[in-house]
Amino acid sequence: MPATTTTLTRPLDPREFDAVDFQRDPFPLYRRLRDDHPVFHDRFHNRWILSRYKDIEAAFQDSQSFDRAVYDPNGPYEFGRRHIFGPNILEYGNSPQHRWMRNVVAGQFVGERLDAFLPIIDMIAREVIATFKDDGQVELVSQFSSQFPIRVISNMLGLPREDEAMFVDWYQALIAGLGFGGEHLARGLKARNEMWDYIEPLIEKRRGAPGDDLLSRIAVAELDGKRMETIEIKGFVALLLAAGGDTTDKAIANMWYHMLYTRPDVFPEVLADPELWSNVFTEMMRYDAVVHAQFRQTTREMPLHGEVIPRGAGVILYLGAGNRDERVFDNPDVFDIHRQDLHMGRENRSGKYKDGKAGHLGFGMGPHFCMGYAMARQEASIGCGHLARALKNARPKFASHPGITSPSIDSGGFRSPNELWITFDPA
Amino acid sequence: MSDMSDAIRTLKVDFDKCSKAGECYYNHPGLFMMTDSGYPAIKVRRPDGAGEIREALEAVDVCPSGAITVERG
Repeated sequence: MPATTTTLTRPLDPREFDAVDFQRDPFPLYRRLRDDHPVFHDRFHNRWILSRYKDIEAAFQDSQSFDRAVYDPNGPYEFGRRHIFGPNILEYGNSPQHRWMRNVVAGQFVGERLDAFLPIIDMIAREVIATFKDDGQVELVSQFSSQFPIRVISNMLGLPREDEAMFVDWYQALIAGLGFGGEHLARGLKARNEMWDYIEPLIEKRRGAPGDDLLSRIAVAELDGKRMETIEIKGFVALLLAAGGDTTDKAIANMWYHMLYTRPDVFPEVLADPELWSNVFTEMMRYDAVVHAQFRQTTREMPLHGEVIPRGAGVILYLGAGNRDERVFDNPDVFDIHRQDLHMGRENRSGKYKDGKAGHLGFGMGPHFCMGYAMARQEASIGCGHLARALKNARPKFASHPGITSPSIDSGGFRSPNELWITFDPA
Repeated sequence: MSDMSDAIRTLKVDFDKCSKAGECYYNHPGLFMMTDSGYPAIKVRRPDGAGEIREALEAVDVCPSGAITVERG
C-alpha cells in the first residue's frame, strides 16, 4: 500500500468467526467485510473470504477458476461431511460424472415431473397439519417443518408409506449429527447405517424391476454403460435427505419466524393473500437464507480488489453477506416482501432476469446452482399456505424469541430457529 | 423420434420465449454460451453428427421455457 494512503479500516480478528455472537448475528461482521475487507485473507483459518454480491456472483459463474472440488474428507473443513453422507455427488467437482449424476435427479425437481408430484406434496402437508390442528398450539420446528419435507422426499424416492415415520426418525438423528457433532454425531452415524441397511434391498429390487420413483431412476441410470455402485446410491440418498429435506425444513421455520417476530405488521397481509408466501420465501432467501456460506478452491491466481488470491486457496463465499450488499439492495437490512430491487418470482440458474432485477444468492448460481430450487419454493409455499389456513389467528406463544442461529455458519451449518411456538384458535 | 439422419438441422432460440434460465449453456456448453445479458448465444448453428444432434435434442428437452428448437433445413 502506498505510504500516502491513510487506512481507516478497523482490523478484523479472524477469531470473531468462531464466536457465538457471529452464529447468532453475523450481519455486522459481514458489513465490515464488504466495506473494509472485500477480499479478506483469514490466516488464522487458512482461507480467503469474499462478501460482496458481485464478487460472489462472479465466483459462482466462473467455476473453472473457483472449483467446487474442495470436498476433501481429510481437508481443513468438513465441507463434504463424508463421514455422514458417504461418497456423494459433492465430491466430483466439475467433472462429467458430476454433471451426469446431477442430471439423473435434477429433472425430478422441476417442470412436469414436479407438477405431477404437487398433489402428493399437498396431501402430506394436510396430513402433518392434521396431527396438531385441534391443539391450539404447535411447536412448528418439531411438529411440522422437520416432518413435512422429509416425508415428501421419502415419497418421491418411492419408499413404503408405512415406513415413513422410521425414515423421519433417521433423518432427524442424521441432521442433528451433522449440525451438532459429538454424541449427536454418533447417533447420526448409527441412524445412517440403519437407513443404509434398510435401503440396500430396496436398491436391489429397483435394479431388477425399476418403477417410476426417484430411487429407481438413480438405481438404473447409466454413464458409459455403467450403473452407480450400491454405496454411491446410499450416499446419494443420505445427501438428498439433507439437501432436499433439511433445507426446506429450515426455510419454512425461517419464513414463519420472520412473519411472527421480524415483520408482525406485514403478517396480516400475507394471511389475507396466500400468494404472498412466495414473496416471503424469496425475501427470506435474501435477508437471511438457510445457507450462508459456500466453499470453493482456486485453480489459478485470482487478482481482485488489489489482492491476489493464490492458486489452490480455499475460498469462502459468504452469500449471506452478499445478500445484504447495499451496493445491490436498498435498505438491505429491512425484511420487505414488496422489495422493488429483488426478482420475486422463480429463480434462474443464470441469476439473470427479464425484469432486470437482481436475484438472491440463497441457492447459489451457475453450474452448481441448487437443483431443488423450484421444488423448495413450491413446498414452502404450499406448506405455509395450508398452515396459515389451519392455524386461525396464529400468533407467537412467547413475546420474545432468542432468534435464528446456526451451529456453525463456516462449516455449512444451516440457519434456523431451534424452536418456534405458535398459539392459535383451535378449529 | 423421427428419422433425423442426413437432413440439415438448424438450432434456434426464440428470445421472446427465453427466460434466461441458463439450462442450455450449463448443460451443453459445446453448443451454447452465456452472454453478459444472460441470454444464450448459439455456438453451433448447424449441429452435425450423432453426438451434436443428440445434444441439441437434449437441449430442447432441458429448456424450461420451450424456447429451443431443432429444425430441418
